[in-house]
Amino acid sequence: MTGSTLLAARGLTRRYGRGSGLVRAVDEVDLSVPAGQTLAVMGPSGCGKSTLLHLLGGLQRPTGGKVWLAGRRIDMMSERALARLRRDSVGFVFQSFHLMDELTAVENVELSALLAGQSPRRARQRAMHLLDRVGLVDRADHLPSALSGGQRQRVAIARALSNQPLVVLADEPTGNLDSAATLEVLRLFDDLRTAGQTLVVVTHDTRIAAVADRMITMRDGVFVDDSRLASAATGPVHDGRR
Amino acid sequence: MAGRLLLVCRVLVRDLRRRPTETVLLLIAITAATGTLTLGLALNEIATQPYQQTRTATAGPDVVAAPRATGPDALAALAPLTTAAGVTAHSGPYPVAFLVLTAHGKTAHAVVEGRDNAPAPLDRPAVTDGTWVRPGGVVLERAFADALGVHTGDTVSVDGRALRVLGTAVTAARTTYPYAGWTSPDSALTERGGLVWVDRGDIAALAGEQPLSYTLNLKLADPEASTAFVDTATTSPRRTVHGGELTTWQDIAEADGRPVAQAQAVLLVGSWLLTVLAIAGVTGVVAVRVSGQRRRVGLLKAVGAGPAMVAVVHLAEYLVIGLAAAGTGLAAGLLAAPTLIQPSAGLLGSVNTQPPALYMVVAATTLALTIAVAATLAPVVRAAATSTVHALADAATPPRRRRWRIWLSRRLPAALLIGIRINARRPRRARLVTMNTLITTTVLVAMLMNHAQDKPFDLGYSELVDPRAERTDQAMLVLTVVLCVLALLNAAVNTWTAVLDARRPLAVARTLGATPAQAGVGLAVAQLLPAVPGVAAGIPAGLGLYTVASRGGIQYPPDSWLLATALGVLLAITALTAIPAMAIAQRPVADTLRSTPT
Ligand SMILES: Nc1ncnc2c1ncn2[C@@H]1O[C@H](COP(=O)(O)OP(=O)(O)OP(=O)(O)O)[C@@H](O)[C@H]1O
Ligand SMILES: [Mg+2]
Repeated sequence: MTGSTLLAARGLTRRYGRGSGLVRAVDEVDLSVPAGQTLAVMGPSGCGKSTLLHLLGGLQRPTGGKVWLAGRRIDMMSERALARLRRDSVGFVFQSFHLMDELTAVENVELSALLAGQSPRRARQRAMHLLDRVGLVDRADHLPSALSGGQRQRVAIARALSNQPLVVLADEPTGNLDSAATLEVLRLFDDLRTAGQTLVVVTHDTRIAAVADRMITMRDGVFVDDSRLASAATGPVHDGRR
Repeated sequence: MAGRLLLVCRVLVRDLRRRPTETVLLLIAITAATGTLTLGLALNEIATQPYQQTRTATAGPDVVAAPRATGPDALAALAPLTTAAGVTAHSGPYPVAFLVLTAHGKTAHAVVEGRDNAPAPLDRPAVTDGTWVRPGGVVLERAFADALGVHTGDTVSVDGRALRVLGTAVTAARTTYPYAGWTSPDSALTERGGLVWVDRGDIAALAGEQPLSYTLNLKLADPEASTAFVDTATTSPRRTVHGGELTTWQDIAEADGRPVAQAQAVLLVGSWLLTVLAIAGVTGVVAVRVSGQRRRVGLLKAVGAGPAMVAVVHLAEYLVIGLAAAGTGLAAGLLAAPTLIQPSAGLLGSVNTQPPALYMVVAATTLALTIAVAATLAPVVRAAATSTVHALADAATPPRRRRWRIWLSRRLPAALLIGIRINARRPRRARLVTMNTLITTTVLVAMLMNHAQDKPFDLGYSELVDPRAERTDQAMLVLTVVLCVLALLNAAVNTWTAVLDARRPLAVARTLGATPAQAGVGLAVAQLLPAVPGVAAGIPAGLGLYTVASRGGIQYPPDSWLLATALGVLLAITALTAIPAMAIAQRPVADTLRSTPT
């Protein structure tokens, strides 16, 4: 149902502190995410989900183990190369949106395209297209303060998609939203899955199961369960890559 | 590239517009420093430009010869000079007598020069009011007339003889009042005095017993070679402006600039102090801004901006403010210069400082950018280098934890406890308070020192103002006013940042039972505590600075003045802090504790 391995980790470890204060936030986990898969990572608070996501996206460096993205080792990359990687290949979505307050919705969306050196005109076209895709084209010129929580998160998702990333990493994307707004976001993720976007979502929300192909459960930094979901078998047909 | 540039500009413009108060504060702080520097540099122009204009307008000589000898001996000494090699024209010799002038009950030394009514080929004093000399009348050098308060039509007496004031004039052939070079016939001393012109036929009667001296104006083929000419024409090495035999136009220009030289030194030293103060102020504002922008840093990095890009986005803002402040400072300094510091009335022309000289533009811009970069580089680099995850997770630098202070403060009254803990959270801000009060006190004490000096004792006319002291006082006043404004601004900014930063801890303290009064007084105490060492160190620093800057003969102001200054500074800080502190402490706790993510 899915393509070759896009994101992989072997013996991935992240520790904090030492001695009696040692925390194994992520403890020697192995992971392989095929292209096009929607993976949900669940588990109790403090089990290491955010840390795992940061390691996979190159926001944080592991203390042990290896990470590959599209066949390239990213755990040993230079800061500059990591910045380029985040610009070109990874899209992040955060629980608290992290939009720039002083920029309008469309300006927020075109941020990474401009950083990547695209021309302002093309960046704007692409941003409007993405806003259209998340259903907010009529709110393009609004500041984040004038948007609802669900709308802000949809803007953030449009921004994450801006540079056609290989993988979108979302950390509790519905954590700050009420159930109606959560549904909006889940519907959007379902669209992304249908379009073949590789997606890793960290969440507490069991409703995510409805839109995921696979679910990993974490506890104390290790994977305790890894299961394929029914939705994957019965859900829309994957036509491979975008 | 175009895309990144657009991004930087967009973020910059939005940010400046979103926080107009901070933008204006930064602008004012940097403008104060660049404005004072420009003012100091403009004094250079005030010192040199008018002399040049006067020299051109009055056909000023290149060399003036005034022998010590009198009568026929003097004329004999001057005769060969008119035909010396390199001399292309001359005027004179004119008779000169060193007399005493009385006007409106004031007495002053007057260098009385006898002239013809017809214009001379060299040194044609420019009449600024009334007419040129006629028998029975006197024309006063303008600065001298101003100092005496004499106008055309008044009557003055020269060595007891009444003369009608025909007008005022300026010249480039002799230094303006009070350095006209009055030499007593029976001593070698040169004393202060002013120049007056009378008809050549009247001078013998005015001089009475005194043998006449003579002065001769020379024009050289090469005016720049005046010093070389003087060196070959004189055998004795004695060649000073006032009493010497030969004086170059450069010597006169230098002496004419002397009244503003001290004022200029005050302003230039002052601009350095203001620079430190501006850096302290800007640092305070920038620290708040950058910590408020930490989440944005994290976000930019998460979407793929490298550390360099992050630094550029944040620095650009301050560089733009710096450039704007260089412009406003230049404009303010140049506009203020002619009105704040009067050019000598003894010279012609207004000071034309627009367009500004290139070196002023360069100096002001360099200073402004230095302040902007010095204050912002550290926090911006620190922000750019923080881990993305940290930056995203936390909106502010975690407060410092100073164990001993926390331990100590547990044994103190609640308000003091709150104050000490607020400072312990942000030691850098407390240091800015110290720096601010240190510099303010230093300048105030230096000002007091200047005030405490006795005006120098002068033979004959101690009641007349000394233009040099007058200009130094003006410069001191300008500096003190600018500095106090900046210091007050700094104190206000500091209080305001402290209030913002302490809002949550204070709100929490109040949920735990602290009263609004305790919280408010605590905030005021937090500002006052670091001010005390600043004031204490500022007093010796101000005394020392003035002592170093002036030569000899220092008088110290009474201790009570110093004490009053110290208390005044502390009182000002208390007042400035207490108001916002009380206001914030009255706000309902719940308002403060509520917050919304974006
Ligand atoms: N900077 C740090 N220093 C020390 N320990 C840390 C640090 N960051 C995270 N941890 C620890 O690592 C563990 C995993 O943290 P992480 O944020 O990944 O959990 P999480 O599963 O995302 O939790 P939540 O669902 O509450 O967001 C936790 O025990 C946490 O205390
Ligand atoms: Mg988490």
